[in-house]
Parts: sequence; structure tokens; C-alpha cells
Amino acid sequence: MTDTVSPSGRGRRLRQRFGYDERNAALFLAPVMVVLMGVAVFPILYSLYLSFFRIKLTRPNQTPFVWFDNYTDLFSNELFWVSVWRTVTFSVVSVSAIAVIALLVSLLLNQEFRGRRVLSTILLIPWAIPYVANALMWKWIYDSGYGALNGLLYQLDFIDKYMIWLGDQDKTIFLIANAFVWKEVPLATILLLVSLKAIPADLYQAARVDGANIWQRFFHITLPAMKPGFMLVMIYETMMAIRHFDLFFILTEGGPGDASHVLSWHIYVETFRNLSFGSGAAMSYVLALVTFALSYIFIRTLGRRI
Amino acid sequence: MARIRFEHVEKKYSNGFHAVKDLNLDIQDKEFIVLLGPSGCGKSTTLNMIAGLEDISDGALRFDDEIVNFAPPHRRDVAMVFQSYALYPHKSVFDNIGFGLKMRKVPRDEIERRVREAAGKLEIDHLLDRRPSQLSGGQRQRVALGRAMVREPAAFLMDEPLSNLDAALRISMRAEIKELHRAMQTTFVYVTHDQAEALTLADRIVVMNDGVVQQIGTPDDIYERPKNTFVASFLGNPPINYIDGQIESTDGSTARFRRGDLAFDLPASIAAKLGSSHGREVRLGIRAEDVDETAAGAAGSVIRGKVNSILPVGSDQFLGFDLAGQELFFRVGKDLAHNLGDDVALSVDLNRLHLFDKDSGETLLW
Ligand SMILES: Nc1ncnc2c1ncn2[C@@H]1O[C@H](COP(=O)(O)OP(=O)(O)O)[C@@H](O)[C@H]1O
Ligand SMILES: [Mg+2]
Repeated sequence: MTDTVSPSGRGRRLRQRFGYDERNAALFLAPVMVVLMGVAVFPILYSLYLSFFRIKLTRPNQTPFVWFDNYTDLFSNELFWVSVWRTVTFSVVSVSAIAVIALLVSLLLNQEFRGRRVLSTILLIPWAIPYVANALMWKWIYDSGYGALNGLLYQLDFIDKYMIWLGDQDKTIFLIANAFVWKEVPLATILLLVSLKAIPADLYQAARVDGANIWQRFFHITLPAMKPGFMLVMIYETMMAIRHFDLFFILTEGGPGDASHVLSWHIYVETFRNLSFGSGAAMSYVLALVTFALSYIFIRTLGRRI
Repeated sequence: MARIRFEHVEKKYSNGFHAVKDLNLDIQDKEFIVLLGPSGCGKSTTLNMIAGLEDISDGALRFDDEIVNFAPPHRRDVAMVFQSYALYPHKSVFDNIGFGLKMRKVPRDEIERRVREAAGKLEIDHLLDRRPSQLSGGQRQRVALGRAMVREPAAFLMDEPLSNLDAALRISMRAEIKELHRAMQTTFVYVTHDQAEALTLADRIVVMNDGVVQQIGTPDDIYERPKNTFVASFLGNPPINYIDGQIESTDGSTARFRRGDLAFDLPASIAAKLGSSHGREVRLGIRAEDVDETAAGAAGSVIRGKVNSILPVGSDQFLGFDLAGQELFFRVGKDLAHNLGDDVALSVDLNRLHLFDKDSGETLLW
């Protein structure tokens, strides 16, 4: 084969074409960029800016620049530390439950059995429900007067009178976690199922010939193959749990007392109830940084050697 | 030490597909058996039944004298090499090779010793710390072999182990596998759809089609004395040529094959086997290489036609040959110069003819 185009001529043509493509791309992307600037980049930067001022809407004329006071005040605020602790409890409980349940369900759905497709479809329903709808549904279920949970347990004779479930300081955070887990398990299951489906069948055959029993096959083949999917689930669900707001807003409003006063709720109260925008913005930044740091740690520890 | 015997073995998959039908096969200890057949004919199914990876629907499978139909894979003392190699992606080469020993609770230093020994033989000792993803295809192949070797199994099962390698490597690995068999002194059952591999490696070849064994025999048996047209067609490159015709004038000592103008005087050795079969419809088989151009002459052994295509293949050339509308392929020396459209006469080696019953396709000769 002979190529009649000289290298330099071809290079020029490529460059021209590339330049043309880039200009076109920029043109098409511009509207999206403008919108993104307006709705994402600007608010992010503006809230950083706000976090250096003491802004209370109740005193709109006094907005002094206070350097890092909003941040330092935060760490001396007792309720802030309570909310951190509540968030940690909620996240650890939910994410572990999600990981374990999704693992079991994905292993189940990876088996061939009659009705597997129907079951998979039904399992997806919680995923399709919006967070607010999910929260309202669980508000009904947990209701002290007409809730399904009370009804069920009463009819089964587990309780002899209706309980005010969400009024119990010791149980609230776990009940909310339960509602959260119910909603999150389907997506986590699918993420794990994808890695399960990708395992070649002959690996298991090879391991059987090598003398590995069912547990050894699970630990030497299945688990390592699920690691990337597992990491994804941990990161994603941790970020969702740390920042979760809807359930706390609809079910308990942080109560009873401060039993479900998580960080996101704390930020909401500070910003929109106390109308203290500066410190609210500062807290949001703390939350964002924590989320960021956690994902980094996950990727570094779990992500190694994948 | 394993003699492996199939006695009337059937395999029906759960969807009702009948993959292996009435399989009878006696594999001797230390024998190199090759299961040969087209894709989907049931070779892997058969191998998996030996390994214990597939249930046996009916019949008996014996290792030595013991029936092992229900023995799980790890009780059968077999090792297997898969077409995809099936290396554990998250384990190092060392751990891949040693996995079977570890599962069998072999002491650590013993594992260490045997893995290093096998790796040394396969010349992959410098790769022991790598992961499969960091190896070339040929290196993965060797790891897969090593994983089977260290087990020192009673039987070595291989399912198309070379089919993912490039052509040159495939041929050099054939030699290595043959050497491995010699060194290991153990039973090998090897699955392939590649006739050349089968002919090179096997002590005996089992030709299968549609789940049915067509013929069992040495490479020489299979190639020189095919039992039916399927076996005859499956081996040989280019494939054997068939000409349908009739047997004439048989008195037990002379016989003639005729189709129209074409006639072959069959040698006495063949005629003797035909007995009195005057007028019988037969299918004559001529292997592509069993013709000679230079010796053209003797009537009753010549086939005439027009050159349709010429395919040089390095050492030889394939001649596409038009015989009254039927396309035949012959393999001739490349010094023979022909042009497309030339009329040529080729003399056929009559002693190497094959004759099959036209309807059943079964051989009439052996
Ligand atoms: N698990 C299975 N269920 C149903 N049919 C199968 C299964 N595995 C293989 N088969 C069928 O059995 C036949 C033989 O398969 P196989 O032994 O893998 O052929 P090959 O000779 O190519 O190795 C094929 O037609 C295949 O489609
Ligand atoms: Mg196969």
C-alpha cells in the first residue's frame, strides 16, 4: 500500500479537523456550561464566600466578615458534635446493613431458580420510589395510631398495645436507618449483581477440580471478584447516608430530643430555622469535606490491588 | 494411575438436549486420548463428565474398576486445563499454581517446592509474583499447565488448551504437551476440533459427531482407514473428494468403479473385500494428496478435468478441479505449472482409494 499524503500534510489536515471538531464541540457544550455555571459552580463558590461572614437574616444589615469564626464556633458547639455522632451511628448502621443484605440478595439472584425474574423486578420497586414518598410511606408504617407496624405486631401478639415507635429515643435512629436501608438495597444489589455476573463459570469449575469446597470457592473467587462492586456500594451508600435529609425531615425533625439530630438536619435548622446563613454554609462545607475524605479513604483502602 | 472406562454413558442436559449418546470408551492408563469433532459435538461434555463437572445421565463411568458416576471432582484425582485457562484473576501465578495443593492441605514447604519445580520446567519461574492480567497468552497457558502439573493427577484433562494461541505458538506447544505426557507418565484426555493437533498428539483418537462416537483408533487408523464418510471428511486438508458411482463386474477378484466416462480398476486387495456387489451404488473417496500428475498414463486410474482454481500453500498447491460439474480439490507439487482452464489428467493412487456405501456412508473396506 502506498500512502500519497505526506506526514506533514496529513498532520496539518488532522490538526485542522481536530480544531474544527473542538470548536464545534465547544459551541454545542456552551449552553450546558452556562447553565452549570449558574446552578452549580456559582452556588458552590458563593456559599464558600458566605461561610466567611456572619449572616443572620434577622439582622440583614449587619453582615461582618469574620474569617474562620463560623468554622471555629462550629467545633465548640455541643449540638454539632451530637449531630456528628448521630450521623456516624446512622451511616454505620445503614451502610453495614445495606452491604450485608445486598450481598445476600445478589448471591440469591445470581442463582438459577423458578421465578427469579419476577423476584428481581419486585425487588427493584423501592429503588423507583422517590425519597420523599419513601419517607411518607414509612411515616405511615411507623404511625402510633394507625401504623402498619403496630397493626402487624399487635395481630401477631408481639405487643399488647400500640407503640409510639418514633418517640423512643433509643430506637428512632435505627427505625429511620431501616427505612433508608429498604430504599437503598435494590440499587446496591444491582451493583453487586453486575460483578457477580461477570465471573466466568469456568473459574468455579477449575476451583472444583482443584478441590475447593463451596465456601472456599466463595472466598477465593466470588468475594475477590465482587470487590470493585462492593467498593462502589460502600462509597455511594456512605455518601448517601451521611447527607441524607428527607427521612429526618419527614419522620422526626431531628427528635425526639436530639435522638435523630443528624448533621444534615443540623445544617437545615441552622440555615432555615435560625436563618444563620453564614454558619450554615460553613457546616455544609465541613460535611462536603468529610464526604470527600471518606471516599478517598475507601478508594485507597478497598481499592488497592483491583 | 487411571484407566477410564465409559460404559453406555448418556448425557441429557436439563433442557432435554441429548449431548452424548451411548458412549463406550476404554482409556488405558498412561494413554494419550484425543476427543476430536466439530464444535458442539459433545467433546467438552464428555471431558466434564470425566472431571465430575457434569452429571452422568445413564451408564457407568469407571476409574480403574470403581464406578465414579457420583464422585465429586475433588475425589477423582484429575486435573484440568481449560480453553480460557480459567486462571484466578486475583491470585499471583504462584498462588494459582499452588491453589489445588493448598485446598488439599499439602504442607507449605511442599507446595513451595512443587510449584517452583513445575514453574522451572515450564520456564515461568520468573513470573511467579505476577498476576494473570500481567501475562501474555502463551504465559497464561503455561500457568494453566503448571496448575494441573503440580497436582500430579491420575488423569490430565485438557479442553482445547491451545485454541487461544497464535499459530506458531500453537505448534510449538504441541511438542511441549507431548513431552509433558512423556514426562508425567499419566493418562491424558485432550479435547480439540483441530485435526492436526489430534494427529500429532494422540495415541488414539475418538472422533465424535452429534454426541455419537464415529470411530476410535490410532491416528493412522483414523486417517488411513476411516470407518465412514464423516470421519473421512473431517480429517485431511483439503478434505477428501467424493465421487458417486457404481461397482461393475465383480467376480471376487476384479472390480471396477464407474461413473459415466470415469472408471477405475480397483486393485485386488479392494476387490476382494467387495465380494459380489455388482451394480452397487458406492461413494468413492480420493484423498487430496493421493494423486500424481507425472505418472499419468495407465488407463483405469486416470481422472481428467479442467483446472478451476489454483491455491498455492507454500510447499504445495491446491488444485480446484472440475469433473463434469463437480468441484474436486487435489494437492499437488508446486512445480506443476497450470493455468486456469487447462485440461489436466491426474493419475490416482488406486491402493489408497476409499469406498463407502452411498446411503449409509459406512466404509466397505475395513
Ligand atoms: N448446560 C447445557 N445445557 C444444555 N445444552 C448444553 C449445555 N452445555 C452444552 N450443551 C449443548 O451440548 C452440546 C455439546 O456441547 P459441548 O460438549 O460443549 O460441545 P463441544 O464438542 O464443542 O465441546 C452442544 O450442542 C451444546 O449446545
Ligand atoms: Mg468444547
